[in-house]
Amino acid sequence: MANGLPNHPSGFLTAEAARSLVDSVDAFLFDCDGVIWKGDKLIEGVPETLDLLRKMGKKLVFVTNNSRKSRRQYSKKFRALGLEVMEEEIFTSSFAAAMFLKLNDFSPEKKVYVVGEDGILEELKLAGFKCLGGLEDGKKNILLEANFYFEHDKSVGAVIVGLDQYFNYYKMQYASLCIRENPGCLFIATNRDPTGHMTSSQEWPGAGTMVAAVSCSVQKEPIVVGKPSSFLMDFLLKSFNLETSRMCMVGDRLDTDILFGQNTGCKTLLVLSGVTTLPELQDASNNIHPDLYTNSVYDLVGLLQQ
Amino acid sequence: MLLTRASPTLLPSTSASPSPPSATLLGRSRGRGGLVSASSPAAGQHRQVRRSVMAAATGAVPAAKLEDADALIDSVETFIFDCDGVIWKGDKLIDGVPETLDMLRSKGKRLVFVTNNSTKSRKQYGKKFETLGLNVNEEEIFASSFAAAAYLQSIDFPKDKKVYVIGEDGILKELELAGFQHLGGPSDGDKKIELKPGFYMEHDKDVGAVVVGFDRYFNYYKVQYGTLCIRENPGCLFIATNRDAVTHLTDAQEWAGGGSMVGAILGSTKQEPLVVGKPSTFMMDYLAKKFGITTSQICMVGDRLDTDILFGQNGGCKTLLVLSGVTSVQMLQSPDNSIQPDFYTNQISDFLTLKAATV
Repeated sequence: MANGLPNHPSGFLTAEAARSLVDSVDAFLFDCDGVIWKGDKLIEGVPETLDLLRKMGKKLVFVTNNSRKSRRQYSKKFRALGLEVMEEEIFTSSFAAAMFLKLNDFSPEKKVYVVGEDGILEELKLAGFKCLGGLEDGKKNILLEANFYFEHDKSVGAVIVGLDQYFNYYKMQYASLCIRENPGCLFIATNRDPTGHMTSSQEWPGAGTMVAAVSCSVQKEPIVVGKPSSFLMDFLLKSFNLETSRMCMVGDRLDTDILFGQNTGCKTLLVLSGVTTLPELQDASNNIHPDLYTNSVYDLVGLLQQ
Repeated sequence: MLLTRASPTLLPSTSASPSPPSATLLGRSRGRGGLVSASSPAAGQHRQVRRSVMAAATGAVPAAKLEDADALIDSVETFIFDCDGVIWKGDKLIDGVPETLDMLRSKGKRLVFVTNNSTKSRKQYGKKFETLGLNVNEEEIFASSFAAAAYLQSIDFPKDKKVYVIGEDGILKELELAGFQHLGGPSDGDKKIELKPGFYMEHDKDVGAVVVGFDRYFNYYKVQYGTLCIRENPGCLFIATNRDAVTHLTDAQEWAGGGSMVGAILGSTKQEPLVVGKPSTFMMDYLAKKFGITTSQICMVGDRLDTDILFGQNGGCKTLLVLSGVTSVQMLQSPDNSIQPDFYTNQISDFLTLKAATV
């Protein structure tokens, strides 16, 4: 069903494709940055799109790699933008990190060192875990005088790294020492997105930056809990009575959103309202092909009404 | 065969998620005369297989314990020494070093000091050597800060373009000496970001190169600035002084090294850097040209397999691993290691004590 370029594996969303898609799925999973909003600005036509899909009886779920807020804080953001979305419909990588620890019986006696922001700290606290690091350590510097010894808490059993605009050497060193020297210490990444639209007008470095920095220093790969890891999907499936073959993942990034959808057996729809451009999708070096692609989610409204 | 001994897989891994990365520059230019950009390795297991296949394929000869020091000394004209873990540890001189260097000089050997540490300029390193009581000339010191400036000179980097520096004073000083305009450096460590609506970061469109090295003032501002330059200024170079995972800022413990900062920028741009420090052969070729010697007349002495020894092998010189730094004999002999220097010994002062058995 190629459109645009001949023999291209991804199909451009037409009215026929839109109808067929909507008839074949019971739930839509939406990424947020670049799909629903850009920074703090709602993308045009989103409210109408979500309303239409709900009216058609579709379940709506939001899956975001952005760890800066907790689910509760995201639900506030949705409301502030005029969208009615419940906390239980939102799955963030910050929530994923906390759930990973829970599922793996992380001892509440141990501590978690966080290279990240409020969202991660809140989700960890909600899950009953003790945290170190976070925003406070963003203000700390290292003093390199002779005989200076950088101490670290030996009871840290996991280091979680996510987007951190207060990232600095102190945190990098603290995280590295925990991972390297505390036996069995877990190295968890919320996600590895290289960039994102943290503000509406430009892209900013994503969690992938901080994760790569720590990974290079400890020479270890992290456990990734956010997209494209299928970890969050397990939660989704537990919470709602759904099958992945009856789901469509809608996102703006190929190597997180679309790959997540493909890894878990969903249909996939790429929107060009975020970080991915059409040339990037069609480039010969790209080997992640969504089922369908379109400019923005709002296209669904126009196409379904035809 | 030279090329097959190089094992780039031991370089710090920096790739994005195990899923196929989008639009990364995979592959590296290996061997002599080129900059080695580290590969974007696959997941751990794949790397393990490649490594053992590499060792099996090359039949890498295990390193020999150094016994006849004189024979080694007589077979080369120049010694290149790494500094951390070979000459000093933090601010402490390793014992026997002054006497060893004196002895080599008295035998007419040329001595060169090559360090991946970019925090100081050659002149500042000269002072460190002096403070430790060592007789070393500035001209004999090649830090990766110098290498970055020398590289820009070698490609005739235009003087009307600017260099954005994520790194410390050493890099700034060497760029100044070479006549290049720079932005960034330690003072950008005070710049803050607030990811609020309407916040827009401008960047200088004249930046033609971003040089990334060890930076204890590293922050989100610098990551974004460097990323914007690399992504949006056409032809902007991404240069790394080195990719060491750890460094010895103090001799008491290991500290996150320049590889972290480079990894962060690679993480946000998905672009591989041009590496000027070890194990890239850039500094080796520069030295050989400068002194008018062939690399086979050189012996590289270092404490780190994946930078010092690989540097020596990539460059085609003899290699001697010392155990006075980060590498232990267990690490050398581990089945996970495929980098085998020609020789290994405890520390360089062994040159004074190890003699061939008299006939």
